[in-house]
Amino acid sequence: MAPSRAFTWLATLRRAQLVPSRASMVARSYHSYDHPPPSGTFNPAEQAILSAAYKHVPEHGFTQHALSLGAREAGYLDISTNLLPEGPFSLIRYHLVTQREALAPRRETIFGTPDQASLSVPAKVERLAWERLLANQHVNHRWQEALAVMAQPSYVPSSLRELALLADEIYHLAGDTSVDPTWYTKRGGLSAVYASSELFMTNDYSPGHTETRAFLQRRLDEGSRLGSAVSGLAQWVGFTASAGVNVLRSKGVRI
Amino acid sequence: MAARPGLLRATTQISSRYPRLCMSSIRSSSISSKNSTCSNSSSSHHRAVAGRTFCTTTPNRKPASPSASSTADPSDNNATGNATGRTTHFGFEDGLSESEKTERVAGVFHSVAESYDRMNDLMSFGWHRVWKDHFVSSLNPGHSSSNPPAPQRILDVAGGTGDIAFRMLRHAHVLNRNPSVHVTISDINPSMLAVGKQRSASLPASQQASLSFLEADATSLPPGAIASNSLDLYTVAFGIRNFANIPAALAEARRVLKPGGVFACLEFSKVVAGAPLFDAIYKRWSFGAIPLIGQLVAGDRDSYQYLVESIERFPSQEEFRGLIEDAGFVVGGRGYENLTGGVAAIHKGMKPL
Repeated sequence: MAPSRAFTWLATLRRAQLVPSRASMVARSYHSYDHPPPSGTFNPAEQAILSAAYKHVPEHGFTQHALSLGAREAGYLDISTNLLPEGPFSLIRYHLVTQREALAPRRETIFGTPDQASLSVPAKVERLAWERLLANQHVNHRWQEALAVMAQPSYVPSSLRELALLADEIYHLAGDTSVDPTWYTKRGGLSAVYASSELFMTNDYSPGHTETRAFLQRRLDEGSRLGSAVSGLAQWVGFTASAGVNVLRSKGVRI
Repeated sequence: MAARPGLLRATTQISSRYPRLCMSSIRSSSISSKNSTCSNSSSSHHRAVAGRTFCTTTPNRKPASPSASSTADPSDNNATGNATGRTTHFGFEDGLSESEKTERVAGVFHSVAESYDRMNDLMSFGWHRVWKDHFVSSLNPGHSSSNPPAPQRILDVAGGTGDIAFRMLRHAHVLNRNPSVHVTISDINPSMLAVGKQRSASLPASQQASLSFLEADATSLPPGAIASNSLDLYTVAFGIRNFANIPAALAEARRVLKPGGVFACLEFSKVVAGAPLFDAIYKRWSFGAIPLIGQLVAGDRDSYQYLVESIERFPSQEEFRGLIEDAGFVVGGRGYENLTGGVAAIHKGMKPL
């Protein structure tokens, strides 16, 4: 009895150790210098099918058909697309993940020149967000379908997580090091601005998507103006309150 | 085979529905008292093999105490011939040889074949149809990117009554317009297959032509009927927990699938940890109501008692995913999909290239 029980207990323990590593793969929503992010959202087989299918997206969209074509090209069967638990959404997630990860290597080329490197953080954020929007160019005509899929209730949580990861990535690459509550407001604001710019871009037929860039800049300006208005208001409220307290104290109120 | 007295005894006990008294006493008694309470009626089933904890199939290790092994009747051991040297469990009973489990599962399904569908509806409030529909549509059989569509071969194991196979045929032939999809229904139990054959008579002729039946043991499929590397899709719905040796069945699935072929399993599982109230209600329903419904509707309490016990004994989602990975399959993402808060779960694995 004892050896068999110990054996199963050990086996359970081994599994239990495996589970958290899998969970942390998706749960990380911040940057850490000490603990590099676990690389590889997709395993090699998924990677093979998705990267082959991704080439068919401009023609066939983010669809099961594109996935099947990709699977066949990678040497798999039509049925092998069942490996991807979320079907066509996996293809959308592949686009989001690969384009987000492609931003970091491109930072060097964008901010390589001294005048670019000395830009302020908000200006760098605008530049990086624009760079990420440009990465949507080749699938822009299919992006409304993708947004529709991402808005399906079962995919909303993973879509929002990807958006949060992108906003964090952009602020991280722009060199933002804030550790106060603005950490949240900055990322939340950028997420909203980026999502609306993406939607705007799907209907933008101007050459080089210049309209989209103007839209993005207007929204970011509004954001920073709103931010300064809020901080101005907070300063005013704080000053008036402390002045009021002081007036009351001068009248002999024990506060 | 027929000359082996132990096997014969097991079969007769199945046909006379193994003794109730014994089963209930097993559940209330501890492992150590198992032999004394039951040796009178079915000693062959409860030989003193080391008490197994939660594990589908364990290699037969040396028992911890020498006294435990001495209580076993040596002639009985020879008779049933623990040929593979492994033991498994049947419901909450431990220490059965794999051949015994196969026999007793056969007994259960012989007796429930006729009322199988009606019982499923009553036990799950008809919800098993939603699970099966979702299972088949998520697999999307027959979908092909080429024109004309590529042929596919599908094996539905433990699919005697054809629930999954008929849905697959309809999905492939009607929705995906792929007439070159062939489905083989395999079951170890001729009674269940007979029900499936009878029901298949109402299918359209084209679908009947793409359907075949096979009486086979999933842990060792006949190589003549199912060649290695010949299948696109291997499915098993609410069957794998009855297999005597799950790792062997998974290895067999890997053998018959083509590289890139998919193993898909729909099975009862564990309710997710975040819903203790739902879990309590579900447990109360399955242990309180399901055997009672079985007694009233199918006139067979013990078979349904086995059903709920085998569900309880089946590994959790993560453990079963581990078994699938150990068998050499690749799983994508989390590796499983919970249905109705984990009451059932779909596991998928792909045979790598």
